[in-house]
Amino acid sequence: MNKGSCRAGEALIRFSKVDLSFSDRKILEAIDLEIMRGEIVCLVGPSGCGKTTALRIATGLLAPTGGGVAFDGAPILGPRRDVAIVFQDYGKALLPWRTAAGNVSLALEAVGTPRAERAARIDALLAKVGLPHHADKYPSQMSGGMQQRLQIARCLAQEPAALMMDEPFGALDAMTRQELQDEMLQIVRTTGATVLFVTHDLEEAIYVGDRVIGLLPHPGRIGIELKIDLPRPRDQIATREDPEFLRLRRELYEFIKSAER
Amino acid sequence: MKALLWRLASLAVTAGFVAIWQIVADFKLVSPVFLPGPDRAWAALVHGMVASNLATKLAGTIEHMLEGWLVASIAGVVLGALIGSSRFMRAYVGPTLEFLRPLPASAVIPLAIAIFGFSPAMALGVIAFGAIWPMLLSTVHGFAAVEPRLYEVARALHLSRWQVIAKIALPSALPDILAGLRLGLTVALILAVVCEMIAGLDGLGQWVLLAARYFRSPDLFAGVILLGALGFVGALALDIAERRLLVWRAPTNSP
Amino acid sequence: MRLDGRAFVLPVCLIILAEIGARAGGPSDSIAPPSEVLVAFVGALADGSLLLATRDTLASAFGGLAIGGAIGLALGILLGSVGALNRLMEVTLELIRPIPSVALAPVALVALGFGYRLEIAIVAYASTWPVLLLTRSAVAGVEPRLIEVAQALRLSFPARVAKIIVPAALPRIFVAFRLAAGFALIVAVTIEIAINPLGLGAGLMTAGQALRPELMLAYLLWIGIVGFALNILLVFAQQRLFGRAALVGDIR
Repeated sequence: MNKGSCRAGEALIRFSKVDLSFSDRKILEAIDLEIMRGEIVCLVGPSGCGKTTALRIATGLLAPTGGGVAFDGAPILGPRRDVAIVFQDYGKALLPWRTAAGNVSLALEAVGTPRAERAARIDALLAKVGLPHHADKYPSQMSGGMQQRLQIARCLAQEPAALMMDEPFGALDAMTRQELQDEMLQIVRTTGATVLFVTHDLEEAIYVGDRVIGLLPHPGRIGIELKIDLPRPRDQIATREDPEFLRLRRELYEFIKSAER
Repeated sequence: MKALLWRLASLAVTAGFVAIWQIVADFKLVSPVFLPGPDRAWAALVHGMVASNLATKLAGTIEHMLEGWLVASIAGVVLGALIGSSRFMRAYVGPTLEFLRPLPASAVIPLAIAIFGFSPAMALGVIAFGAIWPMLLSTVHGFAAVEPRLYEVARALHLSRWQVIAKIALPSALPDILAGLRLGLTVALILAVVCEMIAGLDGLGQWVLLAARYFRSPDLFAGVILLGALGFVGALALDIAERRLLVWRAPTNSP
Repeated sequence: MRLDGRAFVLPVCLIILAEIGARAGGPSDSIAPPSEVLVAFVGALADGSLLLATRDTLASAFGGLAIGGAIGLALGILLGSVGALNRLMEVTLELIRPIPSVALAPVALVALGFGYRLEIAIVAYASTWPVLLLTRSAVAGVEPRLIEVAQALRLSFPARVAKIIVPAALPRIFVAFRLAAGFALIVAVTIEIAINPLGLGAGLMTAGQALRPELMLAYLLWIGIVGFALNILLVFAQQRLFGRAALVGDIR
């Protein structure tokens, strides 16, 4: 899919003047953001800048106190079936009493997929995330990377138009993280899904994103917007050595440094 | 293999204790009025089963125990689910339950007798009242302790209220519910015996009390052995059920 | 648990309903309105009978707890620290443990007759188990590094128990005693109701048999209060002695 033509199209997710405050503390202030169809937008920022909160508002799990988020033109009032959420704490977001297949099945049961069709769909989804031989394992028998793959498989079962990923690889070791970054990009490319990706890892943001939004803390607001014009498909070695990558990395690091001050 | 050897050695130790018991009885180190040997206790057990009505008494106790336990379990899980999944109920009903919890269940027996008389209904009421507490409290805990992230997953997937209960809350509370079932069964057995003693209902409680009154200690020991066996089988059955239902638990949290 | 006004709504409603219900039904041999229960309660408190019964019950409960707790503690430490012994005793303990405490009451009756000794024996048996099992797992769960420290220091077995194992396991051992104390009271009252003519349980039974429901309910109320107070006291003591950390090892 040609990203250039997509970006010319209309926005799939549109934040307009989103405010959020708890009692008298402002968490987010006047967030305006448009995410185009098929685009991968990364949110970064120092801790406490509200990046996870912004994502939770976009999923509909949290209602803003001012402004609103529209999805495909309609205001978001609650979670949508075609928006899948990948939580960071995969250990808590999987049902420990269900096998890998059972966890994927949950999403199919939710939409009422007939029992007869489920098995084949589950097999295909588990194969897609690289867990073809682990259908009968319980989450407690899987490594962190496998559990996160499983959560992604369950999200894909929703056939989502958008994936909301909240620091999805933050708890994984470096090698597994890079593997999953590539697999995620590969999956997104084949499904054409739109992605909002929250991370605290600046290099990860540049590596996976089409655009990186940097937030400033107290209250959270947009401080920088970087367009990432690195060639796709991205490559763990070549992309990370690209002079443009290094330039973007420096710019982002300097932004975060000044934001933390 | 090594575990099996240990098990056999452990069994041999038990046999050793029984042998000591036999020797103590044979040499009348303790008066035979108090302590019959295992041989006489076993003979009384066999005789009671074959020639007397010990089997009926056993059946009576099993019936009292299971009936009360079943009523308590169903009511306990339903009430516990209601209270555990509702903040409103927890605020209004919770403290009253906290106050009633340490009350010895047997203390309601006189009240139950006053209301129901010396009837099986009295025993059912008392046993159900006593056994409902562990059920209720552990179910409340199980439902209140469901991982909040899972409720968000349920919202993201648009699960219906009924699906949330059946697919998220109930399985998540299952370990707690099973622990409650286990404790409830122990309580039910104790209260069944107490009710049978007091109300003279057909059961092992009545059997052991009468045996004690007439100083028939072999009969008394036969009854105690049967009660121990009953408790053992009940715990074993729940053990097996637990192992089957909770295979998903990480093996690290078993001692 | 934080108490607020909402906690009292249900009990107050129930008491009012009971008052109305009992008055509407006329004089009864089985139930009494709460107001009469309160009068009987004050009466029994004033003539000392209630406090005397409380003393008898608590003496038996704590006497039994002291004996059972000591046995349970000693066995628990022994089995928890000597693995081989623990495995050898496995089957024996598994077979004895399911015997309900009340079932042994007639055995104790034959051997000891009615009175304190009967009750103390049964309470001791009942409270041995929670202390034994929890102490055993607490001792077995002592950080292995500490055991290695003890070995490196070449401490003798008694010194190892006294200086390393018991202090490390102490918070959980206290939890065991807390649970056992609650247990002891329940078992004592149960034995008094079932067999032993002594203490609060017997007072409760006698009032019921004398068709004095107001006195019976007064006893019931008092037993509830004593149980509740004991529980609060022990939880409070535990928090003072060990802080909130001790509640982590709690097993319900």
